[in-house]
Amino acid sequence: MLSFTIKRLLSGVILLVVVATGTFFLAHLAIPDPTLGLLGSAATPESQAALAQKIGTDRPLLAQYGDWVAAMLQGDFGESWKNFQPVAAQIGSKLPVTLSIVTAAVLLSAVLGGVLGTAAGLRPGSWIDRVVQAASVILFALPGFWIALVLVMLFAVQLQWFPAVGYTPPTQSLGGWLQSIALPAIALALGAIVMVAEQLRGGVVLADRQDYVRTLRSRGLPRWRIIVHLLRNASPAALTVLALMFVSLLSGAVVVEQIFALPGIGAVTLGASQNGDIPMLLGVTVITVVFVVIVNFLLDLLLGWINPKARVQ
Amino acid sequence: MKKTPLLGVAALAAAALALTSCAARGTDAGGDGASGVVPLNIGDFLDVTSWDPSLADIGFDGPYLSAVYDPLVVDDGSGQPEPALATDWEVSDDFLTITMNLRTDAVFSDGAAFDADAAVKSLEYLQAGVRSQEAYQKVESFEAVDADTIAIHLTERDDTILYYMGLGRSYMMSPSAIDDGTLAETPVGSGPYTLSADSVTGSEYRFDKVAEHWAAADFPFDPLVISPLSDATAMLNGLQGGQLNVIYGDQAAADMAEGQGWNVSEGVATWVGLQFTDRTGATEMGKPFGDVRVRQALNTAFDGPEMLEAIAQGSGAATNQVFPAGTTGNLAELDEQYATDIDRAKDLLAEAGYADGFAVTMPMAPPFQPYQATVEQVLGELGITVTWDEYQFADYMGKAPGYPLFIAVLSMDGDPVATVERQIATPQWYNPTPGLEASADVQEQVDAVFAAEPGDAQTAAIEQLNRTVTDEAWFDVWYQANNMFVSTSDFTVTPVVGTMFPTLRHIDLVE
Repeated sequence: MLSFTIKRLLSGVILLVVVATGTFFLAHLAIPDPTLGLLGSAATPESQAALAQKIGTDRPLLAQYGDWVAAMLQGDFGESWKNFQPVAAQIGSKLPVTLSIVTAAVLLSAVLGGVLGTAAGLRPGSWIDRVVQAASVILFALPGFWIALVLVMLFAVQLQWFPAVGYTPPTQSLGGWLQSIALPAIALALGAIVMVAEQLRGGVVLADRQDYVRTLRSRGLPRWRIIVHLLRNASPAALTVLALMFVSLLSGAVVVEQIFALPGIGAVTLGASQNGDIPMLLGVTVITVVFVVIVNFLLDLLLGWINPKARVQ
Repeated sequence: MKKTPLLGVAALAAAALALTSCAARGTDAGGDGASGVVPLNIGDFLDVTSWDPSLADIGFDGPYLSAVYDPLVVDDGSGQPEPALATDWEVSDDFLTITMNLRTDAVFSDGAAFDADAAVKSLEYLQAGVRSQEAYQKVESFEAVDADTIAIHLTERDDTILYYMGLGRSYMMSPSAIDDGTLAETPVGSGPYTLSADSVTGSEYRFDKVAEHWAAADFPFDPLVISPLSDATAMLNGLQGGQLNVIYGDQAAADMAEGQGWNVSEGVATWVGLQFTDRTGATEMGKPFGDVRVRQALNTAFDGPEMLEAIAQGSGAATNQVFPAGTTGNLAELDEQYATDIDRAKDLLAEAGYADGFAVTMPMAPPFQPYQATVEQVLGELGITVTWDEYQFADYMGKAPGYPLFIAVLSMDGDPVATVERQIATPQWYNPTPGLEASADVQEQVDAVFAAEPGDAQTAAIEQLNRTVTDEAWFDVWYQANNMFVSTSDFTVTPVVGTMFPTLRHIDLVE
């Protein structure tokens, strides 16, 4: 298990270095002179020159890369070129927002998708199975932003149960926080719930046909214990979907954050790419990759724990 | 089949409501009639760039900065500077010194008094600022004449400095905060509000009213909340849901306004059209545009008023000039000069020796795609074939000046001399080679504008210059687009040409 863990960690670090370096050079190639985007319509040759000197883009690209790597190794993400505030602090203030809605969406997907998938898988062809199948088709067909808009029109604008826009930190009000993340999380989760349910249903149906299940039944084990055994064998596919979901929801949150005007990573990424704020883009990229690595690492550990054969593979 | 997800929605909704036992957040938009104090929740389009005025943008930072800082002078909405911390001012006969008298009753939120020394320190800080320096290019020094008087000494005449200061480049900061270098995180001004610790960065900025502010009666908003919302639908939802009462609106919001009893304020903010960067025909690709007849042909070929209706839903002014419609310099009589006539355009091209057209490459980025098909079609009718180079928006500004012409949506100024400087005379990112040498008339008239006595003589010179640049098709302006502000019935907003979102001083209660 130790060598398995070390290998997974090492591959994560390599992925981080490759993606971060690639992003650095691609961003600088795509935006050779960021001063215009940063200064906007009031840019003059004088202000452009002053800004280029301040942010260091008047130096060779390799020197800039060297400085960036040296700073990153010390945990320094640098300063935003737009507002000259530390990138780490700004991402640190936005990350909880995105993580709030993504984590809530994944939890909703796990719980509801798990219950629905198990129920459908235990009774293939039943009404609940048909509902899950139909919901999968419908929710896959509906774009996420449309679902978000319907939710906000119904529950925020018409009924006014939830705020239409904005975010309340849990430190300020736990209830306000729940209210502010509820609709965005649901909008993100709806598609994920049926995806998890579908995967789990398939796994349960397959596992239910295995000999060991028949043996367990013949021994007269309680139904709930048989379901536990079934789930242990049927869950790897659903767990993989959930982990992938977490990663994809991180990027999918951009649209939902915009619709609900949430100050998450999505808004930062969009603003940084529009302004040419390369340090902020790099910071977001590094943080996102770190999350992807962590989630995949935890998934590997979990799958290895559930199924020891996975460690060998 | 939708029962399942709706069950989940209902369950979560119930749980959240049980935990909070209250309705959605947001402030009651209704006012307190007795005290005349009303809550104001503004939906701005962008987050504050920086709380440090030397790093702030003029564009959408107006409401944020004007809440916590007082300016020396403020734009009255029509390009004219009005008193704020500076009670009055005088420009010397040689136009090289501006002497300002200052208020003596303003206090910074850290307790320090505002005086001439503080004003000079702030101005010097702004002059050194990366973004704020644009207003002070021709300043030699700032001088504290006495406790409540300052003098601004210029290296050369500058008719636009007061205009730029009024747009948001003269916010006064506490001297100790400047020394500490902490303004970007903790703004310390003498403004009518202070930034509340309850603010949520990037989502909701809350402000505490300063009861003893010297103009407290002019700011009857309490509580004051400003939220950055870059999505038009989110803003409209916020207004409908009662969370916001003044937003940077769009046509969808304006269309709903009448039925909802909302107020709509709009004013021209940008000109939309083709910008020529090579009016001398110095480059091979730009050679055709060095011929005035080619530029005139393009002006004649595009139907600006139709594009205004079709693309901007009529929200703007059908004018072919870069001086804002309805302001000094813009001449209604010129608007018909290039009435759409595709045959005439073809004749002009033929006269210029391009009867079969020519090929040109232009840059393209997502915000300009609504115009792409029209440009391709109209130029195609003239035999001009376009090859598009695709860019991301962040890169467009850097790349566009490298092409002989590009689709432009450019901010305008409320001050006509500033328009002459920025649009015609001085190199800018969108006008890298103004090309005055291509026309002796333009050069002569630009000089005349800068030398004329302010007032009628200068206005006449500006109008003559506008006639000339229109004759010479210096630009191909299709129309001028509006900025739109939608508010609940309690408020009115005065748009300010030169800024994208006006300051708190331009938001008023309905009498």
